[in-house]
Amino acid sequence: MNSALASATRSRDEIVDAIRNLMPADWARLRKVAHRYSFGRPIEPDDLLQEGFLRALDSRKCPKHVDVVKFLAEAMRSIAHGEAEKAEYRLTLVSIDKTGDEQNQALDHKDPDPNSEETMVSEQDAALIRTALLALFDDDAIARDIVEGTMEDLSAEELRELTGLDKTAYDSKRRFIRRTIDKAYPEGWKP
Amino acid sequence: MIGKKTPLRDGLDRLVDALVEDILSTPDKDILAELKECGGDPARNAAEMRAFFERSIVAANKHRLAQARAGAARNRKRRVGGPVDIAQARQRLRAILDSAGGPQGLTLAARKESELSDSDIVSMLDDLYELGAFPPKDDEEEGEKEN
Repeated sequence: MNSALASATRSRDEIVDAIRNLMPADWARLRKVAHRYSFGRPIEPDDLLQEGFLRALDSRKCPKHVDVVKFLAEAMRSIAHGEAEKAEYRLTLVSIDKTGDEQNQALDHKDPDPNSEETMVSEQDAALIRTALLALFDDDAIARDIVEGTMEDLSAEELRELTGLDKTAYDSKRRFIRRTIDKAYPEGWKP
Repeated sequence: MIGKKTPLRDGLDRLVDALVEDILSTPDKDILAELKECGGDPARNAAEMRAFFERSIVAANKHRLAQARAGAARNRKRRVGGPVDIAQARQRLRAILDSAGGPQGLTLAARKESELSDSDIVSMLDDLYELGAFPPKDDEEEGEKEN
């Protein structure tokens, strides 16, 4: 690693110091982020947070210009997505001793590719959640457009253009959306 | 999300990302107010989280130590690894002990290689390797010469 790159990233001790010196608002944010990223995933918020700390300390390089809370949030996001993928592609192991027919059972493992039935169920789960989320904003067309547009991968700029909101009004509406969802789903949504 | 990746699930993931983005950009006073609204105490939450982080550091250090031990064990296994030709090992130890520039400070007992057990021979070679008494590629070089 050249000296310029080394000076651009925090050392382990610097990461530890930065985290130790977080303010109460930052700790509150981290707790909320851990809850949010554990929504519908096979990992508990505390485990996600601890994994995020471990990654930050042991395996990830934190650029000095990146806020350490954002860095930890990104680590948690990455872990949460990884956990979901592990759940998706986990094979069911069957003891050959118990099957009595090693050839059939050993070869009859679950195909990691989604078959049409699984895809349909999964789409149904997601469709139910999506419908319920949008229903929270039935009496607020702008909020509904933002939620729907976000799920459809529209950028913030596109959403502001679509809704006619300036940045301040858009941020305020997005906060309202988050708080509404927080209240409706305090423990996250389950598929 | 649990389940297969689908466009609708990806959409929910994008919504979660947007919610997190909002959490990160919400002003301190508003985030603290939200915590209080839910019955939380910012100071207590911070203290709990700090304690949690300190426990995570201990866990991380244990993890690092375990990795270091595993790495050392792998190296040791690689060096000693596989069946040991004890005759060759004795020959090598004798050669090291007899060499003019051999390791300094060995005890007199250790110089009587013929009195050492096989496991003592292997262990001593391992210790000498760790002390840098012979080069790491000693085995390979000898192997090449023999071939």
